[in-house]
Amino acid sequence: MRFEKISLLANHTISSILKEPINKWLVGLLFILIAFSLTSAFTSYLDHKHIVDHYSEDVRDLWENNPDKHPHRMAHYGYVVFRSHYPMSFFDLGLNSFLGNSAFLEAHRQNSINFSRVSLSNGLLRFGELSAGLILQLLLPLVIFFWGFGLVAGERESGILKLIIGQGVLWSENLIGRAFGLFLIGLLIFIPTALILFVLLLFTSTSDFFPEILSSFGITILSYLLYLLVMSLLAVWISAVSKTKKAALVKLIGCWLFFTLIFPKISQVAGQVFHPTPSKIAFDAAIEQDIVKQGDSHNPDDPLFSKLRDSVLAVHNVSSTNELPFNYSGFIMSQGEQLSTMTYREHQEELMTLYDKQNRLISWTALLNPYIAIKNISMSLSGTDFSSYRHFDQQAEEYRYQLAQTMNNLQMKYISNVITTSADKDAVISRRHWTNYPDFEQSFLSFSHRASNVNLSFMSLALWLSALIALIVYRSKSLSTI
Amino acid sequence: MIQLLVKQYVRSRGLMIGLMLLFISGLVSIYIGKLFLERQANTIDTTSIVQKEQIVRHLEHADSHIGLLLYYIRFGLANETPALSGLAIGHRDIRLPAQLVNIRNLEEQKNAQELVNPLYQLLGNMDLSFVIIYLFPLIIIGIGFNLVSEERESGVWSLIKSQPIDCKEIFKKKLLIRFVSVLLVLLLLLVVGMIYLHIPVDQSFLLFMSLSFIYIIFWFSYIWFVTSFQLSSNQNALILLSTWIILTIIAPASLNNVITNLYPVPEAYSTTIESREGYHSKWDLPKEPTITKFKETYPEFEQYNHPDDQDFSWFWYYAMQHMGDDESRSYVRAMKEKLQMRDRVSRVVGYIMPSIHTQLSMNTTSRSDMTNYLNYIEALEAFHEKTRLYFYPKIFQNTPVDQEDWQAFSLEFFRDQRQVNWMLLLPLFGMSLSLIIIANPRWNKNLMR
Repeated sequence: MRFEKISLLANHTISSILKEPINKWLVGLLFILIAFSLTSAFTSYLDHKHIVDHYSEDVRDLWENNPDKHPHRMAHYGYVVFRSHYPMSFFDLGLNSFLGNSAFLEAHRQNSINFSRVSLSNGLLRFGELSAGLILQLLLPLVIFFWGFGLVAGERESGILKLIIGQGVLWSENLIGRAFGLFLIGLLIFIPTALILFVLLLFTSTSDFFPEILSSFGITILSYLLYLLVMSLLAVWISAVSKTKKAALVKLIGCWLFFTLIFPKISQVAGQVFHPTPSKIAFDAAIEQDIVKQGDSHNPDDPLFSKLRDSVLAVHNVSSTNELPFNYSGFIMSQGEQLSTMTYREHQEELMTLYDKQNRLISWTALLNPYIAIKNISMSLSGTDFSSYRHFDQQAEEYRYQLAQTMNNLQMKYISNVITTSADKDAVISRRHWTNYPDFEQSFLSFSHRASNVNLSFMSLALWLSALIALIVYRSKSLSTI
Repeated sequence: MIQLLVKQYVRSRGLMIGLMLLFISGLVSIYIGKLFLERQANTIDTTSIVQKEQIVRHLEHADSHIGLLLYYIRFGLANETPALSGLAIGHRDIRLPAQLVNIRNLEEQKNAQELVNPLYQLLGNMDLSFVIIYLFPLIIIGIGFNLVSEERESGVWSLIKSQPIDCKEIFKKKLLIRFVSVLLVLLLLLVVGMIYLHIPVDQSFLLFMSLSFIYIIFWFSYIWFVTSFQLSSNQNALILLSTWIILTIIAPASLNNVITNLYPVPEAYSTTIESREGYHSKWDLPKEPTITKFKETYPEFEQYNHPDDQDFSWFWYYAMQHMGDDESRSYVRAMKEKLQMRDRVSRVVGYIMPSIHTQLSMNTTSRSDMTNYLNYIEALEAFHEKTRLYFYPKIFQNTPVDQEDWQAFSLEFFRDQRQVNWMLLLPLFGMSLSLIIIANPRWNKNLMR
């Protein structure tokens, strides 16, 4: 293969496409659409950040300003935490709109994380959500297909192809040159997008966090370049194997439909059939049943808890719980909390394993479907994928558990055993204990963690690229020029 | 002659494959609807069983105060799932088809969501409404984009023109044959859906059918309009596909962005905080204001009082719980108004966006729209209040637990009884009619070029 021939053909492709005024319009429109999505998603990212900061501060103030009271009251008063979005989330909204944003954390129970955007949507969200990532994944390939479908098939119809190949240009040079031209026009849209994204990212985070963002940004850009290349090669290859322009267009539109709409939806349904997940009511009921089996800490005759009481009494060599050196009901509640949390986490783990299985099925389809591959990479690196959410969920649950146990410990330490109800005005501890309990700090999954989550998708893009190049290099010779 | 045109059409292999694929996707989507309906029915059954079981379990400690028992016991209200919603699922799959609530603060209970893998939510369900709104137009474009240009480009055109026949009539018939074939596929799918999902043939179903017909008619009118310009096949394909992308992807998604930014719902966060403040803080405050306020809302409980010498009474406790709902009410109302506003704006925009209009109207007709959800939540609030008011006097008088027939409390159902709104057909009807009216003179003018 000769480089000059390839660059000549690439140049020719670019100028022939950009010659048409409609294509200039298309580039412009697509770019405006991307710029609109980026800025609108960025403003809503900032709004969300503002809301989260504002309400988190509110929650903290309210928490600290609670008067002296019984610690168990505080355990029930609980905490409200809000999910911060990853700084790059405005590039690819991913799952963000389908994930809850606020959780009420209290003792004894795990409340669900509520108020996802989808729960507040009237059904429009079903059509999808415009983000720069989605436009690059979904619409840019379609535009490339529009530009590319006639490149070879059209020349075959008009007889020019015979001339080109007859002049000593190799088939592979012709195809790669054409694909490269398409790719370069794609860059006309992609590079400004990347620049805007970069500038906006500069506004999002503190300097110590910036290396993380920069790596996410860099690998995302590289992946999209690979994807664009794959789509350009695919367009040219399909055009080369089609007898007529019309046939090439139909095939390419078919590919696009199959990759972006039909295949993902069908694999979603397959996932649901192969790995069915429980409904919320079944999930909650299973946990409740297990907790009931363990024993009821509120029931004085419960076998588990009476056995526990007897052994505690024996260890401390006393005859009644009132003589214990610590608050007995605080102790029982901390034991109960530990047991119920363990049960909850087991069930939660089970559910997550099911989701993981479902998601892995989708990840495997990425090998056949470059659209899913780039989607997974883009979501994961933008921090809007499922593992990122799971990370938040675990932090919130851990915070809840620590809060409940801290309050139980305070009760054991400071509350006398003769107190019968937490409503008793004498059973209070100082409010400085509330101030001492640290605020909720959310951390994000590290870049390396998020990147390694989508190994399979990276592999898929690499495979597609090599397969298409191999096809072009080894199989194109047998194509016909007429 | 029409026989010849039909023969020519049926013999084009590509077109028949297209219709076949459409039919198969339709069947898959109906199967998905069946899975959805089964899951809903299953969940509702489970909820009903869980409700019974927890009542029995809590009654084991029936020696306690009825106030303590009602702290735990939950009562269920289901949102009835019409069979038609199997064809247009909307957001029903992420909302709970039935909820169990205790008679304490409702705000903390009512916003729970169904457990659905978020990635699967993103990929979305493929119900029949999706097949109709997305895939049908594509096939219609595929069989219509070269209505005239095909003849021009293949050279048959001059032959036809030289015949002593009305050329426009030929194309009208050609398009009509295509229209009838697509309509037949659609009709077949609707009948299969009706039988397989046991959909009753009522006004809602008829409206659903009419909506899908008129949506198809709109696309054929649009083809008639675009081909009236007598452009080349390539240009037609480009115009039609761009329209499809704008209508099914870009416009709805942009509208969603705009609406979300225009009507943000910070109230979703305020309600969480306010309802929690509303009652938890009452533990530390004097009990009189809570009780006075409670009696203002419910004067029928004037005779009850909190005993002065005690720190705790169930009367005060339930009054305090109610304050949580009471104090977050303004936020709840504001949030509901914003959600309705979002819905209203997208419906208005839908008047000029056939895809949006059809999706929202199909959701409305099958009771899987935002209004259904808001109505259900309203019903849940009323149900909660009804249950509370029934039990309040018993709690306040400390009625013995065994005087109540607890088994009588089984799952209740909310049925969305909105009128079927036939006006929903108008926007698309008007649009199709105008397209045909505009296109007809152009056909006459351009045809003889």
